[in-house]
Amino acid sequence: MEIKFSRIEVDSKKYLAFMTAIGLVAALAPASAICLFLEGHRVTNMTNQVPWGMPIVMAIYLIGASAGSLVLSAMSSVFGRVEFKPFARMAATLAAILIVAALASIILDWGRPDRLMIPFFHFQPRSVFSLNAILYSSYMLLCLVYLWAMFNGKKHLERLLGLTAVFLAVLVHSGTGAIFGFVYVRELYGSPLLPPSFIAAALSSGTALMIIILYYTFRLSGRYLDPRLLTSLGKLMGVFIIVVLYFLFVENVTRAYAPANYEESSFLLLHGGKYTALFWIGLVGLGMIVPMIVGLNQRLSRNIPLLLGASVLQLAGVLIELFIIVIPAQVFPVELFHDQEVSSVFLDGQFADYSVSLIEWTYSAGMMGAVVFLFALVIRLWPMVPTEARHLEPEEELAAEKVEEAAV
Amino acid sequence: MTIDRREFIIIGATVAAGTALSAVTPALSHTVAGNQSPLDVPPSAASGKNQWGMVIDIAKCTADCTACTDACRKENNVPLFGDPKRDIHWIRKLTIRQKGVPNATERYLPAMCFHCEHPPCAHVCPVAATFRRKDGIVLVDKHRCIGCRYCMVACPYKARSFVSQHVEAGPDANPNAPIRMHGVVEKCDFCVHRIDAGKEPACVEACRQAGNGAMVFGNFGDPDGEISRIVATGEAEQLRADLGTNPRVFYTHL
Repeated sequence: MEIKFSRIEVDSKKYLAFMTAIGLVAALAPASAICLFLEGHRVTNMTNQVPWGMPIVMAIYLIGASAGSLVLSAMSSVFGRVEFKPFARMAATLAAILIVAALASIILDWGRPDRLMIPFFHFQPRSVFSLNAILYSSYMLLCLVYLWAMFNGKKHLERLLGLTAVFLAVLVHSGTGAIFGFVYVRELYGSPLLPPSFIAAALSSGTALMIIILYYTFRLSGRYLDPRLLTSLGKLMGVFIIVVLYFLFVENVTRAYAPANYEESSFLLLHGGKYTALFWIGLVGLGMIVPMIVGLNQRLSRNIPLLLGASVLQLAGVLIELFIIVIPAQVFPVELFHDQEVSSVFLDGQFADYSVSLIEWTYSAGMMGAVVFLFALVIRLWPMVPTEARHLEPEEELAAEKVEEAAV
Repeated sequence: MTIDRREFIIIGATVAAGTALSAVTPALSHTVAGNQSPLDVPPSAASGKNQWGMVIDIAKCTADCTACTDACRKENNVPLFGDPKRDIHWIRKLTIRQKGVPNATERYLPAMCFHCEHPPCAHVCPVAATFRRKDGIVLVDKHRCIGCRYCMVACPYKARSFVSQHVEAGPDANPNAPIRMHGVVEKCDFCVHRIDAGKEPACVEACRQAGNGAMVFGNFGDPDGEISRIVATGEAEQLRADLGTNPRVFYTHL
């Protein structure tokens, strides 16, 4: 069945009001970034103990959502999931927008964002960051070419680029996981499981994001969206969450097994105060188990408001997961000695205290706002959204194609 | 402005003479400073023959002395902001106590950048702003650092500080130390400007002048040198040697 795409036609007053509101949220990002650059990082809660704060969490979150979206976009052309074809364009667009926002989040958090071009001229092959600079830029380019192929009906090229996109998305987000996984000096970072774990979380959060985006795009533009499409995405989200939980379980049990890591593990899992609470309640309970149950249970996932709620929880859950990966490893004091208690004016041996500062919140909220703003703009300017999205099982799809062929 | 041929030749000759002179000058200071050098190694361009390092006898480090940290602040214009979380420390004094032992004695030791043979900070730096010089000194190019702070996360010794605000050099600032720039990461550079002038790091000099002499700076490239001999006894230890970074700073009586 041929899917027709068109630009969204909406009441221009409402659209303008929406864009103004979300534009103001998006404006928080550059405003915060300018403040950060002019005043220095002292305006944040990032310190010499916790050099990486919320902007880094937000950056890797956006990269994950982008990678997840791109894989979903390629589902129809690469994995033959024809029922996902209606949102292939939207997902690829979202992937491109998310990676741009992610790169902005990383770069504007540098101490010297004015040195933007330096990574392109000075390369350090042993640095995961340096490799990622190449991966992220080529990924961004691929998103655009892939979209172009989709727009121009180049089916073979689309399939080829889709396959490349899946490969590159996995590589890109493995690279993001490796940023932390390769840091062998901090027990709460160093782990070969982080790259695959990041991929799983990218897929689950990317699917959750797609459920929300699909629902609101179709609803606000007054188009028909088959609820079965959302339900089947919900199921997919549930499966991905199982994988996320599996990696989380293996990683933490393996770490906690070694006596040398008792202190680190018990800090994260037992008595780390807000981090422990976030881990069990925010991440495992509300962020993963609840959306997993809703997504996998056929009766629950047919309840669309419930499924939307579960998707929001999953999006928050992955954000919390990344927070729990990035922050506690820095809060836990660097171990200069295995057998000595240590203290100094440089706060050696002390647990750092970190909470997200106001400017880090505005920075992060602004980045999210920018993603929504750009997406709403793009679907107004270009035909990204199908005029209607029907969910067809593969057999139905095949039958429909035959009918079309017969007509021709 | 136009330059005729005559002027061009004069300018060219002047530049050439200047270049030649500047090439000769280090050679001159070489012989003059060479005799006075406490390093006993003639100052020269960084060469692989010299492998700078340090041995610190923590039995000689005393409770209330801050000579090394004070000297470092003065020598390198390292500011204190009055905010312990953001203060910059190139060297700090650690107080250690045996874990799990009641009434364990407090002991003290200075810690700075250990100038690892395999520096994790340099490995993770995306723009190679942190690099290892031929003589083993790990340096940060402040003009190339983008301030991503990956090195701070990767350093096992917490040797690095981020300049999280503007810093003006005061009137008493040492003009030989590099100018500070906000938004970049910095750390101990073994007083590279002093080493290149044939002098030992400011902390080592101050420790000796304070009468403790706990810190010995030297050249691991010289097998008969003092630090090589101490390390050869097998009594000197590195911090977190298990990580394989092979620091160039050793401790005795740890």
